[in-house]
Amino acid sequence: MDGLPPEAPPTEEPPSRAAHWAAVAGATGWTDAFRTAKVRVPRERWVEAHRALKEHLPFFAWLSAIDWTNEVAVGDPVEGDPVEERFEVLSRLSDVSAGEAVIVSTDLPRDDLNLASLTGVYTAANWHEREASDMFGICFEGHPNPVRIYLPDGFEGHPLRKSFPLLAREVKPWPGAVEVAPLPAAEAAPGEAKEGGA
Amino acid sequence: MTTPADRHLLAVHRSEVAVSVELQTPEMTLNIGPQHPSTHGVLRLVARISGERVESVQPVMGYMHRGYEKLAEVRTYAQITALVNRIDWVSGFANEVPFIIAAERLMGVEAPERAQYIRLVLTEMYRIANHLIFLCAFPAELGAPTPLMYALRERERVLDLVEGLTGGRFHPNFNRIGGVKPAAGGGAKQKTRSQDLPKGFIEGTRRAMAAVRRVCDDLEGLVLGNEIVQQRAVGVGVLPAEVAIEYAMSGPNLRASGVAFDLRKVEDYLPYHRFDFDVVTMPNGDAYDRCRVRLEEIRQSTRIIEQALDSLPAGPLQAKVPRVIKVPKGECYVRAENPKGEMGYHIVSGGGRRPYRVKIRSTSFCNLAVLPWLLEGALIPDIIAILGSLDYVLGDVDR
Repeated sequence: MDGLPPEAPPTEEPPSRAAHWAAVAGATGWTDAFRTAKVRVPRERWVEAHRALKEHLPFFAWLSAIDWTNEVAVGDPVEGDPVEERFEVLSRLSDVSAGEAVIVSTDLPRDDLNLASLTGVYTAANWHEREASDMFGICFEGHPNPVRIYLPDGFEGHPLRKSFPLLAREVKPWPGAVEVAPLPAAEAAPGEAKEGGA
Repeated sequence: MTTPADRHLLAVHRSEVAVSVELQTPEMTLNIGPQHPSTHGVLRLVARISGERVESVQPVMGYMHRGYEKLAEVRTYAQITALVNRIDWVSGFANEVPFIIAAERLMGVEAPERAQYIRLVLTEMYRIANHLIFLCAFPAELGAPTPLMYALRERERVLDLVEGLTGGRFHPNFNRIGGVKPAAGGGAKQKTRSQDLPKGFIEGTRRAMAAVRRVCDDLEGLVLGNEIVQQRAVGVGVLPAEVAIEYAMSGPNLRASGVAFDLRKVEDYLPYHRFDFDVVTMPNGDAYDRCRVRLEEIRQSTRIIEQALDSLPAGPLQAKVPRVIKVPKGECYVRAENPKGEMGYHIVSGGGRRPYRVKIRSTSFCNLAVLPWLLEGALIPDIIAILGSLDYVLGDVDR
């Protein structure tokens, strides 16, 4: 592709496979940090990119999403600079011979969670898209069977969104006294809890 | 006035009329599970059947969904290790390995060689345990309960060794970031010594591997040579290689369809490339071949374990890691060849003590997606044979 600006310098020695897959998919960027090749495609090219990659990478390992936000009800927010508020959808493709693989990723704005379904390209995407729609509320347009897969009928909310509270914690705070107790020695920063193991 | 005998005759006559008018097979909906012994947990199948044939099947799951991906966002990395044990409880330790290696990669830590070898030996032990469970459950579901006794006996030997080393049978929780836990009861100093495996572990493992190989020979006759199993499994649930790949089947189920793909050969999460073992494939892709692949994989696992014990390096069990584990920002996906297939974790770290997001690629969930395709047109008794041959665990389906 013409002049792909890499989002981060590759950590491995060139030529990076991520750059290769970015060219095949017509991606707008790629990263290869921690030996995890990832290419970024715009939302409108989501299905075409997968169609182009399928010939080389026929195995659809999984599809998932990440709720990027700075206001989290549970867990820790991302440290440092605020993140750009969005949903990221990821799919992992690989082959079944040489061990080649890539993650394809696209962004959805928080107010428009619609994405074309991949079921026409990869049959295996079916259940994964149902799961992502259960857990994140993403609507996959053109899915042949867009019904719940895990959650019971009538369940409200999307549990893996960062705004969704962990109800068990609301009822009974946890971790309890064990975790909040400071370490006996001054080996850790004040307020840091004891880590299990080591 | 009609006598009882007359009334009976009349009823017979009426029923004959009814039969002659409605001589057709109405389509029925058959509900299998969620509480059915052959569903290995709480899986429900809604089958539309016509006569003895299955028209379509809709698996219904989520009865056991425990929300591990959400829980991982509020737990530290060490706590998540205990959690992921419970995804596929038949091969608990093997679930920990890809998670811990993904976290190590993000931190830039590498476990010492000895720890990697111990991880490898334990993973293969759980592969043996998992496949022995399959070889006991699969024939039992088909009506041949005897192999269960033989398979479970040797599995117990293997699990005893695991228990001696880790302290746990199902949920060893033995991995730590940067290595493995010092042996049970060893005290804090033990981790720096090279002698850390329990006394007699290596000899015991060698004996157990010989016993496992012997039971494999027994099981070959008891299961594969069993007429009940052959009649119920040969040519049943045939999965061609293209379909297996299209539905993202992995592990022994994929290799039974003739695809020689094993992540132990292409990924370097553990030092498998140093050992000599074969990728087992079978040509037919039916339930019988899925059984044969697993039996042969047990033999290969014993080979790997023996080679690993022969060349077990000395040294520490733990790399140097900070007391408080904080994982730098980044994302990483590590996949491993679990007993059931590709299992992986995509960890997104926000730089803190808890991950920002963990995606669990659990094997059984992906392997089960092919079920509607496989069961379409199958006979009702074959449902059980096909289900059993896929080797899934509901904890791994629902997470």
